[in-house]
Amino acid sequence: MEVAVEAAGLVKTYRGRSGTVEAVRGVDLRVDAGEIFGFLGPNGAGKSTTVRMLTTLLSITAGTAVVAGLDVAREPDGVRRRIGVALQEAGLDARQTGRELLVLQGRLFDLSASEAAGRAQELLELVELTEAADRRIKSYSGGMKRRLDLASALVHEPQVLFLDEPTTGLDPASRVTVWDEVRRINERGATVFLTTQYLEEADQLCDRLAIIDGGRIVREGTPASLKAGLRERLGLAREATLDDVFLDATGRARTHVAGEVQEVKA
Amino acid sequence: MTHALVLGRRALREGIRTPEAIVPTLFIPLFFLVVNVGQAARIFPGSTTGFLHGQGYGAFQLPSSMLLAASFGSAALFLVEEIEGGYFDKIRATPVSRSAIVLGRLFAEGVKALVIAGLIVALGLAFGITIASGVLGFLLLILLTAGWAIVYAGFMQVIALKTRSAAATNSAGLVFFPLLFLTPNFVPRNLLTRPMEIAATVNPVTYVMEALRSLILQDLRWETIGLGYLVVAVAAAIMLALSVRIIRAYD
Repeated sequence: MEVAVEAAGLVKTYRGRSGTVEAVRGVDLRVDAGEIFGFLGPNGAGKSTTVRMLTTLLSITAGTAVVAGLDVAREPDGVRRRIGVALQEAGLDARQTGRELLVLQGRLFDLSASEAAGRAQELLELVELTEAADRRIKSYSGGMKRRLDLASALVHEPQVLFLDEPTTGLDPASRVTVWDEVRRINERGATVFLTTQYLEEADQLCDRLAIIDGGRIVREGTPASLKAGLRERLGLAREATLDDVFLDATGRARTHVAGEVQEVKA
Repeated sequence: MTHALVLGRRALREGIRTPEAIVPTLFIPLFFLVVNVGQAARIFPGSTTGFLHGQGYGAFQLPSSMLLAASFGSAALFLVEEIEGGYFDKIRATPVSRSAIVLGRLFAEGVKALVIAGLIVALGLAFGITIASGVLGFLLLILLTAGWAIVYAGFMQVIALKTRSAAATNSAGLVFFPLLFLTPNFVPRNLLTRPMEIAATVNPVTYVMEALRSLILQDLRWETIGLGYLVVAVAAAIMLALSVRIIRAYD
């Protein structure tokens, strides 16, 4: 099986005023071509830092990463040509129109002006934004921005698509629309590397997943194998859920995660 | 270069769609021009003041206003906005060269400054100021002003990339302002008090201002003009090199 993403001993440390912070402490990962791979973890676990290293946006302190067949540290431009990136908080230029943004993205990937215009139209149709194409992005809803962000990551038909929490903050209907888009993109041949905090999302979409906590991978496998493994290990009478797997892997109790409900009196 | 032009066109669109960021660039320098001329024109009548070369005091003050207008670029604040909003990372994740990312905004600032400088000179002409160095002088005048705008935008861009903070970037702009005033702003250098003359002589902005002034008041004086262009070229090269270095190491 061809490998789309492979990381070995990936480490990221930051030096701040309060000392050195180890955000990622030796991550080993392997994502096969054609997979939808889920990368889960609590806030601050190192998900986004790992994605930013794999997408060339952050330098690697130690370890190696190969994405789409190229070493991330040695050939960052080559990697950039083969990957698509949609980061947290849909990073878009609100003063441009959707069409202008996609055309610009195409031009930055060396498409000619007419090729970029044609590709922008195709993508606008794909994510159903043709009617809003010539409106400024600042007038778009959260769901529309996410879809446009996805489209902009697809301009150059990447081999590997990195999606960092693509549905955070979206309403349930918009979330399902994004899931459909992700499946469609995957069916067209792209490997999808997806970080999410929503376990249902990972269960619905991912062929395999890894859970990171404290900068280290603590579980890895298919959703079914992880759930079956937990049920067997704990001797549960019922089917385990991905929530159970996540809570077990990250050492968090359900009550702790849910928080306490307190009555507030006026 | 194609990428820099594509990004430059986007930055220009951004400027056109944010007129509230451009209006003060034109209004404040004109305000200072009117106030300074109103306060000092009677002290320096054109007919008897040698350094005015027969023109009014407005012609002497015009370069100050042009430099001030060129030091109002909003590119760095748009850049901070982009860094905070995540679009900067989107651009960094493309195979575009790091220098093109920096050059795109500087190109747009240069074009905006050409237009603004042209407008200020046109207003000056309407009020009786003449460009003694002719059409070529006019072109050199607005080109040098645009060059200064690129230097200033480059400096602000360096601060924006380094601090990623709108507040710090704004404050850095204020640090730059004294340089504009430690110049022969109201009278030629030889009429300044000794400490101010020394300050103006070591201040590179002085040579840009003197080049602009010579283009308005005199024939083409290549030595003065060349010095102004040299200062802009060296400062622009330094700012560009710093910006590219910072963006390459940007994490």
